[in-house]
Amino acid sequence: MKGLLLKDWYMMKKYCRYYLFVSIGFIILSMMSSGNMFFVFYPCLLAGMIPVNLLGYDERSRWTEYVGTLPYTKTQIVSAKYLIGLFTQIALLTVICIAQGVKMGIEGTFVLKEFLLLMMLLLILASVASSLTLPFVFKYGVEKGRGAYYVMIGVVCAGSIIATTIFKEGLQNEIQLNAVLPIACLVGIGIYVLSWYLSVVFYKKKEM
Amino acid sequence: MNALELKNVRKSFSGFCLDNISLTLPSGCIMGLIGENGAGKSTTIKLILDMLHKDGGTITILGKDNEKDISLTKEDVGVVMDDIGMPECLTAKQIGNVMKHTFRNWNDAEYTQLLQKLSLPDNKQFKDFSRGMKMKLGIVVALSHGAKLLLFDEPTSGLDPVVRDEVVDMFYDFTRDENHSILISSHIVSDLEKLCDYVAFLHKGKLLLCEEKDVLLSEYGIIHCTVEQLSELNNEVIRYRKETPYGAEAIVLRKDAPDGFKLSPISIEELFVFMVKEAK
Repeated sequence: MKGLLLKDWYMMKKYCRYYLFVSIGFIILSMMSSGNMFFVFYPCLLAGMIPVNLLGYDERSRWTEYVGTLPYTKTQIVSAKYLIGLFTQIALLTVICIAQGVKMGIEGTFVLKEFLLLMMLLLILASVASSLTLPFVFKYGVEKGRGAYYVMIGVVCAGSIIATTIFKEGLQNEIQLNAVLPIACLVGIGIYVLSWYLSVVFYKKKEM
Repeated sequence: MNALELKNVRKSFSGFCLDNISLTLPSGCIMGLIGENGAGKSTTIKLILDMLHKDGGTITILGKDNEKDISLTKEDVGVVMDDIGMPECLTAKQIGNVMKHTFRNWNDAEYTQLLQKLSLPDNKQFKDFSRGMKMKLGIVVALSHGAKLLLFDEPTSGLDPVVRDEVVDMFYDFTRDENHSILISSHIVSDLEKLCDYVAFLHKGKLLLCEEKDVLLSEYGIIHCTVEQLSELNNEVIRYRKETPYGAEAIVLRKDAPDGFKLSPISIEELFVFMVKEAK
């Protein structure tokens, strides 16, 4: 699977520079604005879309067929896309984490629990973005799976509103905060694993 | 051991059916899969690699069922598809790095040497390659991981005659090892005629023939005559016939050829064209 990850890494370096610049821009904006979570959420949304975009390039170059001739199982082919998505999200979250930590430190509002909650919500949001889209893309292809992308945008937008509400309410109620953290963590992991499983099942049935 | 065995392989799509294909490629041999566009050549290769799920029949690659541990079997199989399928933004060097982490027996020195031999730049993006260069790179990758069986789908299309000759020589070199075999599909019959030990004719999903090339060439002959002369011939002797306002041609088995007719050697291309027209 290392070969698949390396190939995706080369492609990301070539095709996904735009994401990097936009994400940095949004992270800077998030540091300058107060209370607007959109600037924090949007880069996570973008990171979640990277695997889908890579699949789009794979389809265009007919790699999706060629990879079927290489010694990879279909599970490995699917898993590589999930892993590359996860690595991207973790890398981005690390940057956001540092930026938000610095911001909170400068503002004197840094509270570890709040900070962890925010990061957890961001991780879930980023994973939901790719989790909702990838199974459809593996089943129907990128073009037809685009419908799922629009649904995902709606879900993530709604999710970001709910997440903001939870975050603000969480600040006011410490007991709620304690409950939300592990549940949110489990939900995020659960959605990601379920999505991966569905993608593997769909892809195994798919003919190349 | 046979490199490849297909027995009664079936696959249906809407509007197309690959119908009970059976063929055997012995180790150390080259088989040409000949057919016009849409005959089922690519479908056959995809079925062999389990990229398409067959409706029935069995396929064995290098002695192993193609539905069991196919990813392991693919370590020993080099493939070049019609569309090649390399990522467009990658250079030949990057593709080599990817393949190094893909195949257990990847030979970096061999890859670099073949790139140089075929004058392929290692720092140019795949999308900037010509069709011929893309095909050559696909062939280089297929030849650089110690494969025992090569499956080529139209590998010589888009190549100029000089490069085609180089590529054909590389295929000959590959099959010097008696454990190495090639299944090569093409509609350019002249290429396969030079190269192959066995030929298989596919037409509209049906296997018209699968036979050793030399046997075919020694068994069949062609008669050029007038339409009147042709009508005097016993119909049972004639395998395939073609009549035009300018004369007639008939393919006959040499042993059944009647006296008084001049029998010319037949080419695989002529035999294929006759058989396909007859099948229509």
